[in-house]
Amino acid sequence: MHIPDGFIPISQCIVYYVIVIIVGYFAVNWAKNNLDERQIPLLAVLGAGIFAIMAMNIPIPWGTSGHMIGSPLVSILLGSPYAGFLVISVVLIIQALAFGDGGLTVLGANIFNMGIIGSFVGFYVFKALKPLIKSAGSVFIGSFLAIFIAAVACAFELSIAGTFPLEAGLIFMGLYHAVIGLVAEGVISTIVYVTMKNLRPDLISSGSLD
Amino acid sequence: MNVSLNTLELEARKDSVIHNLDARIKLIMTLILIFYSVYSSDLLILLLLEVYIVMLVLFSKISISYYVKRVIYILPFGGFIAIFQPFIRPGTILYSLPFGINISYEGTIFGILLLSRLIVCISMIVLFSSTTPMNSMINSMRRLGFPKILSMILSMTVRYLFVFFEELDNIRNAQKSRCFNLWNRKISYIWRLKQIGYTIMGIFLSSFEKGEKIFFSMVSRGYSGESRSYFKQPPLTIINFYIIALTIAIIIFIEISKYYKII
Repeated sequence: MHIPDGFIPISQCIVYYVIVIIVGYFAVNWAKNNLDERQIPLLAVLGAGIFAIMAMNIPIPWGTSGHMIGSPLVSILLGSPYAGFLVISVVLIIQALAFGDGGLTVLGANIFNMGIIGSFVGFYVFKALKPLIKSAGSVFIGSFLAIFIAAVACAFELSIAGTFPLEAGLIFMGLYHAVIGLVAEGVISTIVYVTMKNLRPDLISSGSLD
Repeated sequence: MNVSLNTLELEARKDSVIHNLDARIKLIMTLILIFYSVYSSDLLILLLLEVYIVMLVLFSKISISYYVKRVIYILPFGGFIAIFQPFIRPGTILYSLPFGINISYEGTIFGILLLSRLIVCISMIVLFSSTTPMNSMINSMRRLGFPKILSMILSMTVRYLFVFFEELDNIRNAQKSRCFNLWNRKISYIWRLKQIGYTIMGIFLSSFEKGEKIFFSMVSRGYSGESRSYFKQPPLTIINFYIIALTIAIIIFIEISKYYKII
């Protein structure tokens, strides 16, 4: 889902940058007010962990492979979408600068898709569903929807930019990421959440427990 | 992830004119060149930019095969969409294939433009990342006014990347030594997924535990929320100004020639 450089014209890139900077402002404020000092190293180390997790290819039926993004899971575990946003932004910045994964001009759009949509959709779907169904189920649906909607948004962005027609984009991006979201993000996040809840419930934010 | 972290760092710590430039200058130059190439839609301009970047690469003494390999590894992600352009963009039909697939003139031109832009941008970013250690990249962002809390998280993330990749390698080796193969279709798919889940959970758990440990070791070295870290800041040598002036001069030259319709 990493859009490369040159696929979105500069004028539209700026729009995404502005959105990201506004959310980033709130996120930094949130971090200042709600994080105690000891959680800052935690966010950083989680970033490094997510980086390693993203490098892990997961076999997907149909003979392809995908990887996790992790923003919904981080948001759920730490109890705020801003946490997921901060961690994923850091990861995406390093990926763009040091590895060339995703471009620099489109960094705003990439953070918007994976960081903002990924974290906020994942977290709030989880929050909304938690009173209704078991928490494991809501982790699954939240993470799946987060990735799926982010992919759909990505298809829309590319079509607004005039790079890829909407219909084909929705079919390719949407279908592919629906499967990846189901397996890589949904199932794996649920496994991580459930085992973590059994082993170290103290590490999960109290709002995200049953 | 296309190269191992260690090769990346080894290459970035070589000694050359480009390596010795201030990371801030390199970052600004990278941004200028990438933004300019995304802005321009003339193949000739993109060619000129690429020639300039290749010259910088030659000056930087990075191994050419390593450089080309990295560019080629990154290319497919966007290249895929660029290659599809002739088939999906409506316009004057150049050639009709069976099954109602047409190759259009506009699509071909647009595809070539996208691909060349992509090549210029990737060559620049690979040059930047092959000549700048990750630590100085992050430091330069901090010194260019990136928010304090974010740059602190960034620099610590970079520091622990290596630890986590080693950890992931250890887990994978342990699994391999027990004859576990993720891609073996004879093993039940659900069971394999579970193992991946456990691996990822292991990484999560160790991040949580490490986060705490790191916090205590930082506190024992005098860290508090308000502490500031001091970094030695070597003065900008004259060559830094030359190279950024050269880059800007090239862009101004291109723009002037474009204005007078020379290119």
